[in-house]
Amino acid sequence: MAHRKLLAALATLVVAAALAGCAETGTGSAVPNPNEIGSGVLVEHMKEYDGMTVTFTGEAIGEAMVRGDHAWIHLNDDAYYEKNIEEGASLGGQNSGMPVWVSADLAAKIQVFGDYKHGGDVVRVTGVFHDACAEHGGDTDIHAESLDVVRPGRRVVDEPKPAKLAWAVGLSVLAGALFVAERKSAGALRS
Amino acid sequence: MLRPRFEDHLVIGKYTGKVIIGVGLLMAIPLVTSLVFAEWDTAIDFVIGMAACFVFGLATQIACRTDKDLEWSHGLVVASGSWLVATALGALPHYLSGHEGSYLDAMFDVMSGYTTTGLYLLQDLDHVSHGLNMWRHVLTYAGGQGIVVIALAFLFRGTAGAYKVYVGEGKDERLLPNVINTARAIWLVSLAWLAVGWVALSIAGLALGQEPVRAVLHGLWVYMGAWSTGGFAPQSYNTMYYHSIVYEVLCAIVMVAGSFNFALHWAVWTGKRSEIRKNIETVSFAITLTALVLLATFVLAREGVYSDAVILTRKVFYQLASGHTTTGFATIFSRAFVTQWGPVGMLATTIAMAIGASACSTAGGIKGIRVGVIARAFFHDVRKMLAPESALVRTTYHHIRDVALEDPIVRSAMTITLAYVVMYLVVTVAGVVSGYPVVEAAFEGVSAASNTGLSCGISVPSMPAALKVVYILAMWLGRLEFMSVFALVGYGVSIVRGR
Repeated sequence: MAHRKLLAALATLVVAAALAGCAETGTGSAVPNPNEIGSGVLVEHMKEYDGMTVTFTGEAIGEAMVRGDHAWIHLNDDAYYEKNIEEGASLGGQNSGMPVWVSADLAAKIQVFGDYKHGGDVVRVTGVFHDACAEHGGDTDIHAESLDVVRPGRRVVDEPKPAKLAWAVGLSVLAGALFVAERKSAGALRS
Repeated sequence: MLRPRFEDHLVIGKYTGKVIIGVGLLMAIPLVTSLVFAEWDTAIDFVIGMAACFVFGLATQIACRTDKDLEWSHGLVVASGSWLVATALGALPHYLSGHEGSYLDAMFDVMSGYTTTGLYLLQDLDHVSHGLNMWRHVLTYAGGQGIVVIALAFLFRGTAGAYKVYVGEGKDERLLPNVINTARAIWLVSLAWLAVGWVALSIAGLALGQEPVRAVLHGLWVYMGAWSTGGFAPQSYNTMYYHSIVYEVLCAIVMVAGSFNFALHWAVWTGKRSEIRKNIETVSFAITLTALVLLATFVLAREGVYSDAVILTRKVFYQLASGHTTTGFATIFSRAFVTQWGPVGMLATTIAMAIGASACSTAGGIKGIRVGVIARAFFHDVRKMLAPESALVRTTYHHIRDVALEDPIVRSAMTITLAYVVMYLVVTVAGVVSGYPVVEAAFEGVSAASNTGLSCGISVPSMPAALKVVYILAMWLGRLEFMSVFALVGYGVSIVRGR
């Protein structure tokens, strides 16, 4: 009987932990999309916008990959284009954006690309949208004819959080103590 | 039903602890990456993750000290149980990064990594640290080899029962007489491919205009995603980010190689090159991939989605090869499966994912060997019907050696195939019940259950929590091929109801 009670208590604990684990922390940002026709709309209605000239604004991420006199850049118009999570932005879903094919000279205007340590330049391009670009192996892209930096990028500092540091030290000490104890008990058994 | 003895708990606890210590040691790789790139907050996340794994592992080593060796049931329970604990603890760095909506989301991503699925709920991937990206890809690379295989290779010194854990992880090929040497042989093959693949993709990245450090990191991560048939990539655009046919060809070579049986790799490694064209799995893979590529090409050509035949073939082959090898790389947007490819294109991809690639590889799905055996059995029966009653009809298939097709082999293939089909139905129904159209629910559900990772847009952080749980379980069941998970459930039931 005691055995069953213990199992029931354990099961309750596991279920409680599982439910706590499902609790979501602020998914669904209220950051407005900078575009009248955002990347989500373009992807959902590819055929309708194919061949149309669009103006698209987003954060330049990654890098400019220069290929001859042109370059590939990627502009994200998602919930993080103004501020990313390391800077304190609320969670707002996954990334969303558009690949842009632009002249290398225009791409050179972008000074900062978004990554862990940077919020990238926010860039506005105007160009032709292709649902399956014949020039680029069927990729979905925008061939931009103009590019302007709307907002310069910045360096992002992700300071270590003191609470995390305390947990790291505490758990490391505990792990060290257990290691010593395990070695001792193994040695005692051998002798 | 017999209630497990105290000794049984000790054995299971001891070996589960060893595997978890292995997971903690793996975290040293992203920890060092974070330190090299001065990502201090991320480094702390990995110190916490490592320490938590060591605390669990060492505590179980102390509490479960025993000299008893593993029995079959223990091996199965250790394999499936270790994957659950490794997921729960491996999710710590994900969750602490602040990029996950809940701990469940973090566990979803880690189970997806270990099982080489590639679906993810992580938010703002394009701004995550190099350390966390390294962890995502190490997870999938290690998961592809099998986390238990890692522990076997490096932590289980001379354990006679090690083979039982190895089988529990869904692998049953002995490349060498000793299972630990088999595990090491798997690592030898994988590391040789790693060296070649990493260098090739890094050079390609540099030539495509990536900065040197990013080209090298992306080369490594994309290689890991391809070889493990995992499908994780460092940017949210997946492999579309590179806009390059050279990069796509390299990815396709690595993912097809990764989807081959380790026994096939070992045969080629030891000089038996003809095995590639004779093996039932490669033959089955070639036939089904060709048929499905033709079907999708025909349908998309009729719809006029792509402007010329070369582009059409390139897009269709890449997505279908990715689906069939259960990799999950894509060069189209997730939603483009729905908005461009349409129901028949999605159906062809779903079938490719459902079949999957080779057994004893990093891939998931029903597996080519089972499809091949069932097809052979079908033709065997047809031949038997047409032959005179007194005739002895004999059928063989080639897998490393010629094997006579016998009823137990066919029954085993049919049983596991049936289990996969039922699971595919269950995940599809779960998706439909959650409010998604049936074609999309089938596509995403099969993608999760076959450990593929192609998405048509259902796997996002806002999807219902219950569906996340269903997908986590499907990924786990699909990767371990049911038996060890059933053994774990049986173990749990016998604790409660056993006498």
